[in-house]
Amino acid sequence: MMGELILRNLLHRPMRTLIGAMGIAVEVALVILIVGLTNGLLTETAKRIEGIGADIMVQPPSASFLFAFGSAPMPIKIGDKLAELKYVKSVAPVLFQFNTSGVEVVYGIDSESFRAVSGGFVFLQGNDLEGPDDILVDDIAAKTKKIQPGQTYRIFDHDWHVAGIVEHGKGSRLFVPLATLQELVGARDKATIFFVKCTRPEHMDDVMENIRHILPGYTVRPLKDYLSLMTSTNIPGLEAFINSMILLAISIGLLVIFLTMYTTVIERTRDIGVLKSLGANHWFVIRALLAESAALCLLGVGAGVGLSYLVRAGFLWKFPTLTILITPEWILRATGIALAGAMLGASYPAWMASRKDAVEALSYD
Amino acid sequence: MGIAATITEPTEGLLFQGKKSVEPILRTENLWKLYRAGKVEVPALRGVNFEVLPGESVAVMGPSGCGKSSLLYVIGGLAQASRGKVLVDGNDLTELSDAARTKLRRHKIGFVFQRFNLLPTLTAKGNIAIAQFIHGDGFDPHRFDVVTQMLGLAGRLHHKPSELSGGEQQRVAIARAIINEPKILLADEPTGNLDSKNSEIVLQMLRQLNKDLGQTIVMITHNPEATTYFHRVVHMRDGIIVDGVPAD
Repeated sequence: MMGELILRNLLHRPMRTLIGAMGIAVEVALVILIVGLTNGLLTETAKRIEGIGADIMVQPPSASFLFAFGSAPMPIKIGDKLAELKYVKSVAPVLFQFNTSGVEVVYGIDSESFRAVSGGFVFLQGNDLEGPDDILVDDIAAKTKKIQPGQTYRIFDHDWHVAGIVEHGKGSRLFVPLATLQELVGARDKATIFFVKCTRPEHMDDVMENIRHILPGYTVRPLKDYLSLMTSTNIPGLEAFINSMILLAISIGLLVIFLTMYTTVIERTRDIGVLKSLGANHWFVIRALLAESAALCLLGVGAGVGLSYLVRAGFLWKFPTLTILITPEWILRATGIALAGAMLGASYPAWMASRKDAVEALSYD
Repeated sequence: MGIAATITEPTEGLLFQGKKSVEPILRTENLWKLYRAGKVEVPALRGVNFEVLPGESVAVMGPSGCGKSSLLYVIGGLAQASRGKVLVDGNDLTELSDAARTKLRRHKIGFVFQRFNLLPTLTAKGNIAIAQFIHGDGFDPHRFDVVTQMLGLAGRLHHKPSELSGGEQQRVAIARAIINEPKILLADEPTGNLDSKNSEIVLQMLRQLNKDLGQTIVMITHNPEATTYFHRVVHMRDGIIVDGVPAD
């Protein structure tokens, strides 16, 4: 009976129900998309770094694991010292340069050493870096930027010749010769990071120990741990930003439900009087209104999840390099967040309804 | 008061007739109801003494503002008395908490209002069934069928109030009021919004409920003709009962 009452009440004012549900949908979609975009970018970046295939990464002391924040403070000769260590198969120095126009990190690589560490690129079109102004572009960036081999591509105020299109997943989306990038950014003989490949994976701990011995204070990490580092909690301010956005989303849902239920209670003042005349107690009235809010909220959650997938599809169509990770875990969390907000928003109108004087309510016009 | 049993073996006459020793099912003693209007207390009831026996039907008449509705709301437990006593089936409402009065109302009182007061979102069936739901015993299909057939609602149950005539709506309201077999049915000008034909139908149904089921009824009315359907008429003026004579 309670279910029928709630359903009929929701259907009685379809426009109000629709607006209420859309408010919740926006809340849910905001939560899912903000978290999805953040986690998607972090996870995708981490997977690309892991895809390089190295075993160890070496960075200067106190370096951030966020490569976009890196500079080039390490002499490239460190690479020679690393290569001499026992169980080290190959070492690839890489210079990172953040391209503000494309919001991406460009890798300056030495083709030979990078190939030795990563196993080489899979070429979809064109060939490897040969000239000083050559650039390699991965397939996703090529599709997004509509780049073909032989074209000229301009970044860092420099015209590059597109030498080849490679399969994505080897760290960056754009690769240029190390020496040219060093010249361009004024970091001659410097590298941001060294990727180290061991002769066998089981020697990784020994190699890391040896590196720490010859380069005390340097940051030495196994690449397999990189994915676990790339979380919002490890990035300064990001967790706070996400929480702020979630709070903002909750506020939207809370206000929408509050307003919807407040007007509902005023409109149904006489009905509340009737229920009380039939012997309904405070809890019955509260329960009926909270259950109606929950039902409205769940409608909104369904619409919100659908909206999230729709927005994601739109974004990926427009920006193929983006990754928006929608997970069941965060759909559940967003549902919980929306429900909690809805209950909070409905609690005052429900309390107000339960306290209504039956006689006054019955004479309400 | 099992309804099926009552229908197969109709009650002969009225329970209260010739049984003056029977305890009243409803009694008020020096009942006062004061309303606040700013800093002034306005008395709606000024020491009402009133009794209703089980199975009795009583019409309460009087000019507007004489306290009829206040009396109905106080004896129905919807409003709290300011002074005096209200005994419903032996329970003094003035000593009960709001929750206890609500519980008593749920189990012993049925209300019928002038404006029908049906829930607009529910069908006729839903409006009757919700009373059973609130009562807590769940939906009783047998009781439901008996009541709706008795009130001639069988073909109108799936219609919403907006699709029913005034007379049909009031019959739904009566069905809702009696579905849980309350001890007392309180009706606040139930024919006030009806034309004469529907008024007569509703009054006949109330009389039938009283006659066949022994339903105790207290009805407020402005309609002098309506009083002929009741055993006793009580007149009120300025918050007090001025007489109480058996009707013809």
